[in-house]
Amino acid sequence: MILTGVLLVVLGLGLVGWFAARARARLLYAGRGSMHSMPGYHGWHMALWVLVPALLAWTAWSAIMPGLVEGVVMADPAAADLPADEMHRAAILAEASTLAADPSATAFDRQSQALAEPMRAAQTRFAAIGALLVLIIALAGGGYGFTRVRAGFPARTHVERAILGLLLAASLMAILTTFGIVASLLFEAGLFFKDVSPIAFLTGTHWAPGNARGTDIDGAFGAVPLFWGTIYIGAIIAMLVAIPLGLMSAIYLTQYASGAVRKWFKPMLEILAGVPTVVYGYFAALTVAPIIRDFAESMGMPNPSTESALAAGLVMGVMIIPFVSSMADDALAAVPRAMSDGSLALGATKSETIKKVLLPAALPGIVAGVMLAISRAIGETMIVVMAAGASAQLSANPFASMTTVTYQIVQMLTGDQEFNSPKTLSAFALGLVLFVVTLILNIIALRVVKRFREAYE
Amino acid sequence: MSNLNWNSPEIVKRLARRHAAERRFKLLGLGAIALSLGFLALLLVMMMRNGVGGLDWRFLSGSDSTDPSVAGIWGAAKGSLLTMLVTLLLSFPMGVLAAIYLEEFAPRARWIEWVEVSINNLAAVPSIIFGLLGLAVFINTLNMPRSSPLVGGLTLALMTMPVIVISGRNAIKAVPPSIRNAALAVGASKVQTVFHHVLPLALPGILTGTIIGMARALGETAPLLMIGMRAFVVTPPSGITDPSSVLPMQIFLWSDEIDKAFVRNTSAAIIVLLVFLLAMNGLAIYLRNKFEVRW
Repeated sequence: MILTGVLLVVLGLGLVGWFAARARARLLYAGRGSMHSMPGYHGWHMALWVLVPALLAWTAWSAIMPGLVEGVVMADPAAADLPADEMHRAAILAEASTLAADPSATAFDRQSQALAEPMRAAQTRFAAIGALLVLIIALAGGGYGFTRVRAGFPARTHVERAILGLLLAASLMAILTTFGIVASLLFEAGLFFKDVSPIAFLTGTHWAPGNARGTDIDGAFGAVPLFWGTIYIGAIIAMLVAIPLGLMSAIYLTQYASGAVRKWFKPMLEILAGVPTVVYGYFAALTVAPIIRDFAESMGMPNPSTESALAAGLVMGVMIIPFVSSMADDALAAVPRAMSDGSLALGATKSETIKKVLLPAALPGIVAGVMLAISRAIGETMIVVMAAGASAQLSANPFASMTTVTYQIVQMLTGDQEFNSPKTLSAFALGLVLFVVTLILNIIALRVVKRFREAYE
Repeated sequence: MSNLNWNSPEIVKRLARRHAAERRFKLLGLGAIALSLGFLALLLVMMMRNGVGGLDWRFLSGSDSTDPSVAGIWGAAKGSLLTMLVTLLLSFPMGVLAAIYLEEFAPRARWIEWVEVSINNLAAVPSIIFGLLGLAVFINTLNMPRSSPLVGGLTLALMTMPVIVISGRNAIKAVPPSIRNAALAVGASKVQTVFHHVLPLALPGILTGTIIGMARALGETAPLLMIGMRAFVVTPPSGITDPSSVLPMQIFLWSDEIDKAFVRNTSAAIIVLLVFLLAMNGLAIYLRNKFEVRW
């Protein structure tokens, strides 16, 4: 409570500092008529000196305070008979902490009740010390900042340097995120590969984590059926839908359609890309899958399942159409006008020009677009979760239920099991494979696109 | 070749064949578009037919329940609202600042290339991977509250930031150098030039990109599944640390119910979600058309 309050006080002090320094700079300016920086910059300079050190101190204190409090509480006589078990002790302390904040909360443990009072006393004491420290730092920073308000002081340069630092920090966030992804996937997958050999994981053909235990743990985590299902649904069925439809739409819109038609149809096509995947998943499960099952039944297939690779793949393909279409659009637009003009001038019809000149010239760009589309399709989750099914099998039958990498990640992590079992950790290993594969696809595709654009520029 | 007779039956037939092929090709293109849009229309019609009957005040103001006739979406909608708030407050400033740095100030250096490569790749990383990151970092390492809009918003912010950076860079790049030169010529510093002149002109473009990124985050389900936002929440969350659900997650949970009456709820929730998304995208298009300047 006190610590939150002091934060508001510090912000108020910053505001006061801003006004004070600006007013002083204005007075100086009125007296001299020339200064290095505008009064507003002096205000900002002062506010930064109040806020930045104080906020850093506040953050640091918030981080170390729980440790200090725990140290004092553990020294209390009431803590002498706490269990030695780390987990159990932490639970009791957490409960005591809740009790200290809110005495009306229900306690399940007698010990935590006894600890609540010392806990509250220690918390209040350390919070007060911290608040005092932060206030002193804020005032000291402010005092120093105020003495710097002089005519010749380059306040603007200092403030701009701080702004540049902020900009730099924001752009480093991207690297930090990438690093966070790689580190967390590698770390958790590393724990998984301590139990299961990577070779068995990548080449095994039997996936049954449900009954994985004891010595035969390697045999239960063979991920090949998942890879096959992912490729079959995302890279084969979905692309059989998305490539012809997307490419032909792009050709029609760029080569044949009049301006008005293009203006209406292109955004309408893009709505397809904006529909949330959970909606597609529901549509696949509710409408498409029963149609496909009935069709399979009429073809004489015994007991076809409601969940099928075909239903998920078809709907996923439709979702990808606008993506393929806009990539093909870009690739076609990058081909120099002179090439198609030359073909038309020799008497070729428009479709002959497209098939014999435009498409071959745009092929690298289109292939790169398809690679990006595949990387998007294999990472797609909700459609397969809702329509593809759970059975891990190596089958080429599109009417069969089939599972994918993303489906299994969801399956492994949404149950109620303990976190560090091989079953939950396998999700991170699957995530790592997915991340690496999509990364490679993206890097290759982006490089191809870049080289392709350069070739025609 | 000089005595080619254009009226000979052979040539006439050949030309007719080529023109027929031309028409077929054009029809094929039109058919592809019609098929795609027909699919979209079928999807919308199905949702309308199943869901419109379920849209009433009780549905819009209620929370989740095991009884389909009293279950509503306000709890999930409020969860979505709080989550989007966290996402926006984090990803917008971060994204804009990063875009400014990369476009206006970044030196030509190796590590800047790393930043660019990682931003472009992050924009294409499957969303479920961000969910794994959120689970491993925010929940298991930093012990933040599971199922809360705080963790959901943080995870989606990391996902949305690259989108904002990329669209922000394009918007900043589109501001002509003459604007910068004019400001610099009358004595503005580089920072003043960017913040007083370039940024206001680029803002409509940045906002358009931000809205599109937020719309994508609003419809996202998979990463939130990873961080446990699939709890059955009967009371709407009152803060960003309370357990909550979000609209797409509510759709997913209801779609799993065996009770047939939930079909109507699911479709009605989908209609609500689509209306929100359409409104956001419409706003983005409006902004783009209204403020876009052709230099």
